[in-house]
Amino acid sequence: MAKETLTKIIAENQGHNQNNQNTGAASEQNVQSSGEHTNTATNEHGKKEMTSQDVFPAVLGHLGDHRELTFFDIHICNLPVIIYDKKEGFHSYSSMESMESKQTFTTVHGHPPIIRKSDMQPVSLDLSITSLLCFEWIAGFLIFSVLAIAARKYKKNPKKAPSGLQNAVEALILYIRDDAIFPNISSKRAAKGLFPYFIALFFFILGCNLLGLVPGGHTATGALAVTGALAITAFFVINITAIRETGIKNWLKHLLGGAPWWLCFIMIPIEIISMFVKPFALTIRLFANMTAGHVVLFSLVGLIFFFNLSSGFTGGLIISPISVAFSLFMYSLDLFVAILQAYIFVILTAVFVGLAIGDHAEEHEEAHSH
Amino acid sequence: MNPIPLGLLGAGLGAGIAVLGAGLGIGKLAASAMEAMARQPEAAGGIRTAMIIAAAFIEGVALFACVICMLMAVK
Repeated sequence: MAKETLTKIIAENQGHNQNNQNTGAASEQNVQSSGEHTNTATNEHGKKEMTSQDVFPAVLGHLGDHRELTFFDIHICNLPVIIYDKKEGFHSYSSMESMESKQTFTTVHGHPPIIRKSDMQPVSLDLSITSLLCFEWIAGFLIFSVLAIAARKYKKNPKKAPSGLQNAVEALILYIRDDAIFPNISSKRAAKGLFPYFIALFFFILGCNLLGLVPGGHTATGALAVTGALAITAFFVINITAIRETGIKNWLKHLLGGAPWWLCFIMIPIEIISMFVKPFALTIRLFANMTAGHVVLFSLVGLIFFFNLSSGFTGGLIISPISVAFSLFMYSLDLFVAILQAYIFVILTAVFVGLAIGDHAEEHEEAHSH
Repeated sequence: MNPIPLGLLGAGLGAGIAVLGAGLGIGKLAASAMEAMARQPEAAGGIRTAMIIAAAFIEGVALFACVICMLMAVK
Protein backbone atom coordinates (compact mmCIF):
# COMPACT_ATOMS: atom_id res chain seq x y z
CA MET A 1 0.00 0.00 0.00
CA ALA A 2 3.01 2.27 -0.23
CA LYS A 3 1.91 3.01 -3.76
CA GLU A 4 -1.41 4.32 -2.52
CA THR A 5 0.19 6.56 0.06
CA LEU A 6 2.58 7.81 -2.61
CA THR A 7 -0.16 8.83 -4.95
CA LYS A 8 -2.28 10.11 -2.10
CA ILE A 9 0.49 12.40 -0.99
CA ILE A 10 1.12 13.60 -4.54
CA ALA A 11 -2.56 14.45 -4.96
CA GLU A 12 -2.89 16.05 -1.54
CA ASN A 13 -0.05 18.37 -2.29
CA GLN A 14 -1.98 19.69 -5.22
CA GLY A 15 -5.21 20.18 -3.31
CA HIS A 16 -7.19 17.53 -5.16
CA ASN A 17 -10.14 16.08 -3.41
CA GLN A 18 -12.32 13.16 -4.28
CA ASN A 19 -14.77 15.17 -6.35
CA ASN A 20 -12.14 16.14 -8.78
CA GLN A 21 -10.68 12.71 -9.05
CA ASN A 22 -12.84 11.81 -12.00
CA THR A 23 -12.47 15.15 -13.71
CA GLY A 24 -8.73 15.03 -13.34
CA ALA A 25 -8.70 11.55 -14.76
CA ALA A 26 -11.14 12.39 -17.50
CA SER A 27 -9.16 15.37 -18.69
CA GLU A 28 -6.10 13.27 -19.28
CA GLN A 29 -7.46 10.72 -21.66
CA ASN A 30 -5.18 9.12 -24.20
CA VAL A 31 -2.22 9.75 -21.97
CA GLN A 32 -1.70 6.09 -21.37
CA SER A 33 -0.97 5.28 -24.96
CA SER A 34 2.47 6.15 -26.04
CA GLY A 35 1.86 6.25 -29.73
CA GLU A 36 -1.23 8.41 -29.84
CA HIS A 37 -1.89 11.78 -28.37
CA THR A 38 -4.27 14.63 -28.77
CA ASN A 39 -3.74 18.17 -27.80
CA THR A 40 -7.34 18.91 -27.15
CA ALA A 41 -8.18 16.63 -24.30
CA THR A 42 -7.80 19.07 -21.49
CA ASN A 43 -11.16 20.58 -20.59
CA GLU A 44 -13.77 18.19 -21.82
CA HIS A 45 -15.46 17.23 -18.56
CA GLY A 46 -13.72 19.79 -16.40
CA LYS A 47 -15.58 21.44 -13.64
CA LYS A 48 -12.40 23.31 -12.89
CA GLU A 49 -9.65 24.51 -15.16
CA MET A 50 -6.52 22.41 -15.43
CA THR A 51 -3.42 24.41 -14.90
CA SER A 52 0.00 23.22 -15.90
CA GLN A 53 0.69 22.36 -12.26
CA ASP A 54 -2.00 19.70 -12.27
CA VAL A 55 -0.86 17.77 -15.30
CA PHE A 56 1.77 15.50 -13.79
CA PRO A 57 -0.07 14.59 -10.58
CA ALA A 58 -3.17 13.76 -12.57
CA VAL A 59 -1.17 11.70 -15.02
CA LEU A 60 0.81 9.82 -12.41
CA GLY A 61 -2.36 9.22 -10.44
CA HIS A 62 -3.29 6.74 -13.15
CA LEU A 63 -0.61 4.42 -11.88
CA GLY A 64 -2.34 3.69 -8.59
CA ASP A 65 -5.30 1.57 -7.69
CA HIS A 66 -8.83 2.75 -8.38
CA ARG A 67 -12.24 1.84 -7.11
CA GLU A 68 -13.80 1.94 -10.52
CA LEU A 69 -12.89 -0.10 -13.53
CA THR A 70 -11.69 2.19 -16.26
CA PHE A 71 -10.12 1.46 -19.58
CA PHE A 72 -8.75 4.49 -21.39
CA ASP A 73 -11.01 6.70 -19.27
CA ILE A 74 -14.05 4.82 -20.50
CA HIS A 75 -15.69 4.23 -17.20
CA ILE A 76 -16.82 0.63 -17.34
CA CYS A 77 -18.33 0.12 -13.91
CA ASN A 78 -18.05 1.08 -10.28
CA LEU A 79 -16.43 -1.67 -8.31
CA PRO A 80 -17.92 -2.97 -5.08
CA VAL A 81 -16.47 -2.05 -1.74
CA ILE A 82 -16.23 -4.96 0.68
CA ILE A 83 -15.09 -4.22 4.20
CA TYR A 84 -14.67 -6.48 7.17
CA ASP A 85 -14.20 -4.83 10.50
CA LYS A 86 -13.90 -6.35 13.97
CA LYS A 87 -16.47 -4.04 15.50
CA GLU A 88 -18.81 -3.27 12.66
CA GLY A 89 -18.84 -6.66 11.03
CA PHE A 90 -18.97 -7.50 7.38
CA HIS A 91 -20.27 -4.83 5.04
CA SER A 92 -20.43 -4.73 1.31
CA TYR A 93 -21.56 -1.87 -0.85
CA SER A 94 -21.98 -1.76 -4.56
CA SER A 95 -19.90 1.36 -5.07
CA MET A 96 -18.16 4.14 -3.24
CA GLU A 97 -21.18 6.43 -3.53
CA SER A 98 -23.51 4.00 -1.82
CA MET A 99 -20.94 3.53 0.91
CA GLU A 100 -20.76 7.23 1.52
CA SER A 101 -24.50 7.57 1.61
CA LYS A 102 -24.82 4.93 4.33
CA GLN A 103 -22.52 6.89 6.62
CA THR A 104 -21.07 3.91 8.43
CA PHE A 105 -17.70 4.45 6.85
CA THR A 106 -16.22 7.64 5.60
CA THR A 107 -13.28 8.27 3.40
CA VAL A 108 -10.14 10.20 4.01
CA HIS A 109 -9.26 12.23 0.99
CA GLY A 110 -6.69 10.61 -1.15
CA HIS A 111 -6.21 9.12 -4.51
CA PRO A 112 -7.73 6.47 -4.22
CA PRO A 113 -9.64 7.45 -1.10
CA ILE A 114 -8.78 5.57 2.05
CA ILE A 115 -11.67 4.13 4.00
CA ARG A 116 -12.03 5.00 7.66
CA LYS A 117 -14.72 4.36 10.21
CA SER A 118 -16.83 7.20 11.50
CA ASP A 119 -14.35 7.96 14.26
CA MET A 120 -11.42 8.06 11.86
CA GLN A 121 -10.04 4.71 12.92
CA PRO A 122 -8.80 2.48 10.13
CA VAL A 123 -10.84 -0.56 9.25
CA SER A 124 -9.52 -4.04 10.00
CA LEU A 125 -9.69 -5.53 6.56
CA ASP A 126 -10.45 -3.86 3.29
CA LEU A 127 -11.37 -6.61 0.89
CA SER A 128 -12.88 -4.45 -1.81
CA ILE A 129 -12.51 -5.25 -5.46
CA THR A 130 -10.34 -2.68 -7.15
CA SER A 131 -9.34 -2.16 -10.72
CA LEU A 132 -5.94 -3.82 -10.33
CA LEU A 133 -7.64 -6.92 -8.98
CA CYS A 134 -9.91 -6.98 -12.03
CA PHE A 135 -6.90 -6.74 -14.27
CA GLU A 136 -5.29 -9.64 -12.46
CA TRP A 137 -8.40 -11.70 -13.09
CA ILE A 138 -8.41 -10.70 -16.74
CA ALA A 139 -4.75 -11.70 -17.01
CA GLY A 140 -5.42 -15.01 -15.29
CA PHE A 141 -8.37 -15.76 -17.55
CA LEU A 142 -6.43 -14.91 -20.70
CA ILE A 143 -3.46 -17.03 -19.70
CA PHE A 144 -5.72 -19.89 -18.72
CA SER A 145 -7.48 -19.84 -22.07
CA VAL A 146 -4.22 -19.69 -24.03
CA LEU A 147 -2.72 -22.59 -22.13
CA ALA A 148 -5.96 -24.57 -22.24
CA ILE A 149 -6.15 -24.25 -26.03
CA ALA A 150 -2.58 -25.44 -26.37
CA ALA A 151 -3.17 -28.34 -23.98
CA ARG A 152 -6.30 -29.43 -25.78
CA LYS A 153 -4.51 -29.45 -29.10
CA TYR A 154 -1.84 -31.64 -27.55
CA LYS A 155 -4.38 -34.05 -26.08
CA LYS A 156 -6.16 -34.51 -29.35
CA ASN A 157 -3.03 -35.77 -31.07
CA PRO A 158 -0.06 -36.40 -28.78
CA LYS A 159 2.20 -37.76 -31.48
CA LYS A 160 1.91 -34.88 -33.90
CA ALA A 161 4.64 -32.26 -34.10
CA PRO A 162 3.28 -29.07 -32.60
CA SER A 163 2.55 -26.00 -34.67
CA GLY A 164 1.05 -22.59 -34.15
CA LEU A 165 -0.07 -21.62 -30.66
CA GLN A 166 0.79 -24.99 -29.18
CA ASN A 167 4.29 -24.66 -30.57
CA ALA A 168 4.80 -21.23 -29.02
CA VAL A 169 3.50 -22.29 -25.63
CA GLU A 170 5.55 -25.47 -25.64
CA ALA A 171 8.68 -23.55 -26.65
CA LEU A 172 8.27 -21.20 -23.71
CA ILE A 173 7.57 -23.98 -21.26
CA LEU A 174 10.49 -26.07 -22.44
CA TYR A 175 12.79 -23.08 -22.30
CA ILE A 176 11.86 -22.48 -18.69
CA ARG A 177 12.18 -26.13 -17.81
CA ASP A 178 15.54 -26.78 -19.42
CA ASP A 179 17.22 -23.50 -18.65
CA ALA A 180 15.71 -22.25 -15.46
CA ILE A 181 14.44 -25.09 -13.37
CA PHE A 182 16.21 -28.35 -13.92
CA PRO A 183 19.79 -27.02 -13.98
CA ASN A 184 19.27 -25.10 -10.76
CA ILE A 185 17.39 -27.52 -8.58
CA SER A 186 19.48 -30.55 -7.83
CA SER A 187 16.68 -32.85 -6.69
CA LYS A 188 14.66 -34.18 -9.61
CA ARG A 189 11.64 -34.92 -7.45
CA ALA A 190 11.37 -31.34 -6.21
CA ALA A 191 11.91 -29.96 -9.69
CA LYS A 192 9.13 -32.10 -11.13
CA GLY A 193 6.81 -31.19 -8.27
CA LEU A 194 7.47 -27.48 -8.46
CA PHE A 195 7.32 -27.34 -12.24
CA PRO A 196 3.59 -26.39 -12.45
CA TYR A 197 4.13 -23.67 -9.85
CA PHE A 198 6.91 -22.10 -11.91
CA ILE A 199 4.92 -22.26 -15.12
CA ALA A 200 1.91 -20.65 -13.46
CA LEU A 201 4.12 -17.97 -11.90
CA PHE A 202 5.83 -17.15 -15.18
CA PHE A 203 2.67 -16.92 -17.24
CA PHE A 204 0.82 -14.96 -14.57
CA ILE A 205 3.54 -12.33 -14.24
CA LEU A 206 3.93 -12.20 -18.01
CA GLY A 207 0.18 -11.72 -18.46
CA CYS A 208 -0.03 -8.98 -15.85
CA ASN A 209 2.97 -7.13 -17.26
CA LEU A 210 1.77 -7.31 -20.84
CA LEU A 211 -1.75 -6.22 -19.90
CA GLY A 212 -0.27 -3.15 -18.30
CA LEU A 213 1.51 -2.32 -21.52
CA VAL A 214 -1.66 -2.38 -23.60
CA PRO A 215 -2.62 1.30 -24.02
CA GLY A 216 -5.28 2.00 -21.48
CA GLY A 217 -4.46 -0.93 -19.25
CA HIS A 218 -3.30 -0.95 -15.64
CA THR A 219 -0.30 -2.93 -14.48
CA ALA A 220 -1.22 -5.22 -11.64
CA THR A 221 2.42 -6.03 -10.92
CA GLY A 222 3.09 -2.33 -10.58
CA ALA A 223 1.51 -2.42 -7.14
CA LEU A 224 3.75 -3.30 -4.23
CA ALA A 225 1.01 -5.44 -2.73
CA VAL A 226 0.79 -7.79 -5.73
CA THR A 227 4.51 -8.36 -6.08
CA GLY A 228 4.75 -8.69 -2.31
CA ALA A 229 2.15 -11.43 -2.38
CA LEU A 230 4.02 -13.25 -5.14
CA ALA A 231 7.24 -12.99 -3.16
CA ILE A 232 5.60 -14.25 0.05
CA THR A 233 4.34 -17.25 -1.90
CA ALA A 234 7.87 -17.79 -3.22
CA PHE A 235 9.23 -17.57 0.34
CA PHE A 236 6.95 -20.34 1.54
CA VAL A 237 7.65 -22.45 -1.54
CA ILE A 238 11.40 -22.14 -1.03
CA ASN A 239 11.41 -23.03 2.63
CA ILE A 240 8.77 -25.73 2.55
CA THR A 241 10.47 -27.41 -0.40
CA ALA A 242 13.79 -27.29 1.41
CA ILE A 243 12.27 -28.82 4.53
CA ARG A 244 10.48 -31.46 2.51
CA GLU A 245 13.50 -32.45 0.51
CA THR A 246 16.23 -32.45 3.09
CA GLY A 247 14.46 -32.73 6.41
CA ILE A 248 14.18 -30.10 9.04
CA LYS A 249 17.54 -30.78 10.66
CA ASN A 250 19.40 -30.16 7.44
CA TRP A 251 17.42 -27.01 6.85
CA LEU A 252 18.42 -25.74 10.26
CA LYS A 253 21.97 -26.70 9.53
CA HIS A 254 21.82 -24.61 6.38
CA LEU A 255 21.19 -21.65 8.65
CA LEU A 256 24.79 -22.06 9.73
CA GLY A 257 25.87 -21.62 6.17
CA GLY A 258 28.50 -24.30 6.15
CA ALA A 259 30.82 -22.56 8.58
CA PRO A 260 32.22 -24.31 11.68
CA TRP A 261 29.97 -24.31 14.74
CA TRP A 262 31.84 -21.65 16.69
CA LEU A 263 30.97 -19.03 14.05
CA CYS A 264 27.26 -19.52 14.65
CA PHE A 265 26.84 -16.19 16.45
CA ILE A 266 27.60 -14.29 13.29
CA MET A 267 26.37 -16.73 10.71
CA ILE A 268 22.89 -17.37 12.06
CA PRO A 269 21.69 -13.73 12.02
CA ILE A 270 23.21 -13.24 8.58
CA GLU A 271 21.57 -16.34 7.21
CA ILE A 272 18.20 -15.45 8.72
CA ILE A 273 18.40 -11.97 7.27
CA SER A 274 19.35 -13.36 3.90
CA MET A 275 16.39 -15.72 4.07
CA PHE A 276 14.07 -12.73 4.35
CA VAL A 277 15.95 -10.41 2.04
CA LYS A 278 15.63 -12.72 -0.97
CA PRO A 279 11.84 -12.43 -1.33
CA PHE A 280 12.08 -8.73 -0.48
CA ALA A 281 14.52 -8.26 -3.35
CA LEU A 282 12.18 -10.16 -5.66
CA THR A 283 9.36 -7.82 -4.68
CA ILE A 284 11.26 -4.61 -5.17
CA ARG A 285 12.85 -5.74 -8.41
CA LEU A 286 9.57 -6.56 -10.13
CA PHE A 287 7.71 -3.58 -8.68
CA ALA A 288 10.37 -1.00 -9.53
CA ASN A 289 10.99 -2.36 -13.02
CA MET A 290 7.31 -2.21 -13.91
CA THR A 291 6.56 1.12 -12.27
CA ALA A 292 9.65 2.95 -13.50
CA GLY A 293 8.91 2.22 -17.14
CA HIS A 294 5.35 3.41 -16.79
CA VAL A 295 6.31 6.57 -14.90
CA VAL A 296 8.76 7.52 -17.64
CA LEU A 297 6.22 6.80 -20.36
CA PHE A 298 3.47 8.81 -18.67
CA SER A 299 5.83 11.68 -17.95
CA LEU A 300 7.04 11.86 -21.54
CA VAL A 301 3.54 11.95 -22.95
CA GLY A 302 2.38 14.23 -20.14
CA LEU A 303 5.03 16.71 -21.28
CA ILE A 304 2.87 17.39 -24.31
CA PHE A 305 -0.08 18.36 -22.14
CA PHE A 306 2.17 20.36 -19.86
CA PHE A 307 3.58 22.40 -22.69
CA ASN A 308 0.14 22.81 -24.17
CA LEU A 309 -1.13 24.33 -20.95
CA SER A 310 1.86 26.46 -20.15
CA SER A 311 3.00 27.75 -23.55
CA GLY A 312 -0.10 27.50 -25.68
CA PHE A 313 -0.81 25.38 -28.69
CA THR A 314 2.52 25.88 -30.44
CA GLY A 315 4.41 24.72 -27.40
CA GLY A 316 2.56 21.44 -27.44
CA LEU A 317 3.01 21.14 -31.17
CA ILE A 318 6.75 21.57 -31.02
CA ILE A 319 7.31 19.12 -28.19
CA SER A 320 5.12 16.41 -29.76
CA PRO A 321 7.54 14.79 -32.24
CA ILE A 322 10.33 14.60 -29.67
CA SER A 323 8.03 13.28 -27.01
CA VAL A 324 6.45 10.67 -29.24
CA ALA A 325 9.81 9.46 -30.50
CA PHE A 326 11.18 9.03 -27.00
CA SER A 327 7.95 7.42 -25.91
CA LEU A 328 8.18 4.84 -28.67
CA PHE A 329 11.71 3.98 -27.67
CA MET A 330 10.79 3.71 -23.99
CA TYR A 331 7.75 1.64 -24.92
CA SER A 332 9.81 -0.98 -26.73
CA LEU A 333 12.28 -1.01 -23.85
CA ASP A 334 9.42 -1.49 -21.42
CA LEU A 335 8.08 -4.37 -23.50
CA PHE A 336 11.44 -6.09 -23.34
CA VAL A 337 11.72 -5.43 -19.62
CA ALA A 338 8.23 -6.84 -18.98
CA ILE A 339 9.08 -10.19 -20.56
CA LEU A 340 12.54 -10.29 -19.05
CA GLN A 341 11.37 -9.51 -15.52
CA ALA A 342 8.84 -12.33 -15.60
CA TYR A 343 11.61 -14.71 -16.62
CA ILE A 344 14.00 -13.32 -14.00
CA PHE A 345 11.45 -13.74 -11.19
CA VAL A 346 11.04 -17.39 -12.10
CA ILE A 347 14.72 -18.13 -12.56
CA LEU A 348 15.68 -16.41 -9.32
CA THR A 349 13.05 -18.33 -7.38
CA ALA A 350 14.39 -21.53 -8.92
CA VAL A 351 17.94 -20.57 -7.95
CA PHE A 352 16.84 -19.85 -4.39
CA VAL A 353 15.06 -23.18 -4.17
CA GLY A 354 18.17 -24.88 -5.46
CA LEU A 355 20.35 -23.06 -2.94
CA ALA A 356 18.01 -23.95 -0.10
CA ILE A 357 17.96 -27.60 -1.06
CA GLY A 358 21.71 -27.61 -1.56
CA ASP A 359 23.62 -30.61 -2.76
CA HIS A 360 22.36 -32.87 0.01
CA ALA A 361 19.47 -33.98 -2.13
CA GLU A 362 21.28 -36.66 -4.08
CA GLU A 363 22.80 -38.36 -1.04
CA HIS A 364 19.51 -38.15 0.81
CA GLU A 365 17.61 -39.89 -1.93
CA GLU A 366 20.11 -42.71 -2.11
CA ALA A 367 20.15 -43.08 1.64
CA HIS A 368 16.38 -43.53 1.67
CA SER A 369 16.71 -46.06 -1.15
CA HIS A 370 13.12 -46.11 -2.39
CA MET B 1 18.06 26.37 4.39
CA ASN B 2 14.60 24.86 4.20
CA PRO B 3 14.54 21.09 4.12
CA ILE B 4 12.12 20.41 1.29
CA PRO B 5 14.23 21.56 -1.68
CA LEU B 6 17.28 20.00 -0.04
CA GLY B 7 15.39 16.76 0.32
CA LEU B 8 14.39 16.77 -3.33
CA LEU B 9 17.97 17.53 -4.32
CA GLY B 10 19.15 14.64 -2.20
CA ALA B 11 16.64 12.32 -3.80
CA GLY B 12 17.74 13.27 -7.29
CA LEU B 13 21.42 12.94 -6.47
CA GLY B 14 20.82 9.60 -4.78
CA ALA B 15 19.02 8.17 -7.78
CA GLY B 16 21.77 9.39 -10.10
CA ILE B 17 24.54 7.85 -8.03
CA ALA B 18 22.62 4.58 -7.75
CA VAL B 19 22.31 4.39 -11.52
CA LEU B 20 26.01 5.15 -11.80
CA GLY B 21 26.87 2.22 -9.58
CA ALA B 22 24.52 -0.12 -11.43
CA GLY B 23 25.84 0.95 -14.82
CA LEU B 24 29.44 0.36 -13.81
CA GLY B 25 28.69 -3.01 -12.27
CA ILE B 26 26.58 -4.36 -15.10
CA GLY B 27 29.03 -2.97 -17.67
CA LYS B 28 31.88 -4.86 -16.10
CA LEU B 29 29.74 -7.98 -15.93
CA ALA B 30 28.72 -7.72 -19.57
CA ALA B 31 32.32 -7.11 -20.66
CA SER B 32 33.65 -10.25 -19.01
CA ALA B 33 30.64 -12.24 -20.24
CA MET B 34 31.31 -11.17 -23.82
CA GLU B 35 34.95 -12.08 -23.47
CA ALA B 36 34.14 -15.49 -22.05
CA MET B 37 31.60 -16.18 -24.78
CA ALA B 38 34.14 -15.20 -27.43
CA ARG B 39 36.71 -17.53 -25.96
CA GLN B 40 34.42 -20.52 -25.88
CA PRO B 41 31.34 -20.18 -28.08
CA GLU B 42 29.89 -23.55 -27.12
CA ALA B 43 29.50 -22.40 -23.50
CA ALA B 44 27.57 -19.30 -24.59
CA GLY B 45 24.22 -20.60 -23.32
CA GLY B 46 25.36 -21.19 -19.76
CA ILE B 47 27.28 -17.93 -19.68
CA ARG B 48 24.23 -16.07 -20.93
CA THR B 49 22.07 -17.53 -18.16
CA ALA B 50 24.61 -16.71 -15.47
CA MET B 51 24.99 -13.21 -16.85
CA ILE B 52 21.25 -12.59 -16.67
CA ILE B 53 21.03 -13.82 -13.09
CA ALA B 54 23.97 -11.66 -11.97
CA ALA B 55 22.57 -8.62 -13.78
CA ALA B 56 19.24 -9.11 -12.03
CA PHE B 57 20.94 -9.06 -8.62
CA ILE B 58 22.90 -5.90 -9.38
CA GLU B 59 19.88 -4.17 -10.84
CA GLY B 60 17.80 -5.18 -7.81
CA VAL B 61 20.20 -3.40 -5.49
CA ALA B 62 20.13 -0.27 -7.65
CA LEU B 63 16.35 -0.37 -7.66
CA PHE B 64 16.33 -0.44 -3.83
CA ALA B 65 18.10 2.91 -3.94
CA CYS B 66 15.70 4.23 -6.57
CA VAL B 67 12.67 3.27 -4.48
CA ILE B 68 14.14 5.01 -1.44
CA CYS B 69 14.74 8.12 -3.54
CA MET B 70 11.16 8.00 -4.79
CA LEU B 71 9.90 7.81 -1.21
CA MET B 72 12.12 10.73 -0.26
CA ALA B 73 10.90 12.80 -3.17
CA VAL B 74 7.21 12.51 -2.40
CA LYS B 75 7.57 13.12 1.32
